[in-house]
Amino acid sequence: MTYYLQLLLNGVIAGSIYALFAVGLTMVYGVFRFINFAHGELIAWGAYLVLLFMHTPIFLPIYYAVLPALAGTIVISLAQDRYVYRPLRQGSRISLLIASIGLSYLLRNGIRLIWGSDLMTYGLKPARGIYFAGLSITLTQISMMAAAVFFLGSLYFLLTRSLLGKSLRAVADNIQLASIMGINMKKVSLAVWVLASVFAGVGGILLALDTNLEPMMGLTNLIKAFAAVLLGGAGNVWGALLGGLCIGIAENMGVAFFSPGYKDFISFALIILLLLFRPGGIFGILVGVR
Amino acid sequence: MDYLIHILIVALIYAIFAISLNLELGYTGLYNFGHVAFFGIGAYSSALLSLGGLPVSLTMVIGMVFAGIAGGLLAIPALRLSGDYFGIATLAFGEMVRLFFLNERWLTKGPMGLPGIPRPSWIGQGIAGLPMFLLLCALLTLIVFLMVRRLTTAPFGRALKVVREDEYVAQALGKNVLSLKIRAVTVGSVLAGLAGALWAHYITYISPSDFTLNETILVLLCVVLGGRGTNWGPILGAVVIIFFQESLRFLPIPPDLGRFVAPLQGIVYGGTLVFLMLKRPEGLLPEYKA
Repeated sequence: MTYYLQLLLNGVIAGSIYALFAVGLTMVYGVFRFINFAHGELIAWGAYLVLLFMHTPIFLPIYYAVLPALAGTIVISLAQDRYVYRPLRQGSRISLLIASIGLSYLLRNGIRLIWGSDLMTYGLKPARGIYFAGLSITLTQISMMAAAVFFLGSLYFLLTRSLLGKSLRAVADNIQLASIMGINMKKVSLAVWVLASVFAGVGGILLALDTNLEPMMGLTNLIKAFAAVLLGGAGNVWGALLGGLCIGIAENMGVAFFSPGYKDFISFALIILLLLFRPGGIFGILVGVR
Repeated sequence: MDYLIHILIVALIYAIFAISLNLELGYTGLYNFGHVAFFGIGAYSSALLSLGGLPVSLTMVIGMVFAGIAGGLLAIPALRLSGDYFGIATLAFGEMVRLFFLNERWLTKGPMGLPGIPRPSWIGQGIAGLPMFLLLCALLTLIVFLMVRRLTTAPFGRALKVVREDEYVAQALGKNVLSLKIRAVTVGSVLAGLAGALWAHYITYISPSDFTLNETILVLLCVVLGGRGTNWGPILGAVVIIFFQESLRFLPIPPDLGRFVAPLQGIVYGGTLVFLMLKRPEGLLPEYKA
């Protein structure tokens, strides 16, 4: 029993990180109606930039390195939008998708160029587990969950209580109507990219704290974020949040039944099954084009 | 001379692979981001069966059939949704297939790969067989090229283009859009399976790391660079890309800088995809539009 509870706990921890990834992805989809295949690289770059600011020649302690790393991630995502996505937004959708997958390949190889292809860590001391009722959890994992709750909570207040959040939701609902109503699209698009990259960067850093860094981490987690987004219904922020948790739990509970080599397989299979049976997602109502 | 033949063989295999993707991406407008899965299925099934003692020409056909079945089975759920979701589903499928190759050690020997895959018996083994293998590849490329040209100039091909331009128009004209797309993906997968089987019997050693997203990006680049929706485009793209890739081997690169070559190549490929989408989405050979 404790074994399964431990798996559930691991699942919730992983799931809260996936939720961070998925929320950003689904917000970009909600506003721009396109799937950013380069979203995964924001995750990886966020994590690797911390490494950059921790080592020569800067030597910041990790807590201070997080801020410039997030700023870097924001710059990358704004540059993506400014130089690639915006010029292509009026053109055919296929060009946009090919460009985004090309961009993700470019960014991933940028990481391999600078840091190499090997596994890396932040080099912190391994955290000691805290035992509570037979369950083990490390301090890092507690802070991961705390950070996820903090960021997702602030997102909730931003979306429901602020004018910016209201305009975000209005644009996601109907972009033409929103711009007729005088909502400043530049501001909204800036906000979406900043939010998406901060969430991706924070998630990537937290994940790297708990596990390690590798150039492929962006792609692996992108597919999990896709699964979460599909589970929640594309464009639906709360659906993505719940979807992320479900993916994390399903993946970790799956370890009890399948070989751990297939851990990633579960979210992939879930994508295919969802597309087959519930294309609108489980939690969400389908909005707009599928 | 042998080296030139080697480059030509690889270029021709990639030409078949690119033609197969072009049928989906160029003619039907389906962004298949996991096309390498069918290449891999063709390669593994043909390799395993021929290692089991079946004649190579038979196993290659079986490999194509398996790839086609996999393509059809994936297409049926994934194509009920619009293009973006097909991109996600195929991306996930590509990774699923790779994980399968990696984890099912009893069948595929996992990361060790399959060494000693035989060439067809009437083609000599080793270097002596190169000219004959080139002849085989050239012949198969010609057949594939003529077949796809026939397909795409026939009413079937015109219907595919209508689907690409506007699904609703195709529906209004009484075309069964889903069935057209499924047929395009199945034919594309069969041809990708052929390319994969050729690859396996040419290189004589395959492992799961040969079938990653990198190969998908490479073949995507071949199609996009050459010209989407044209008959000659993918072949031109494959020749240009493979010759570029192989010519890098002759650059005098100091050994300690060797680790930078692959990432830089990736950056160039990703960057070229983005650049093409921004500046010349039609590629080197633009599609003739009446």
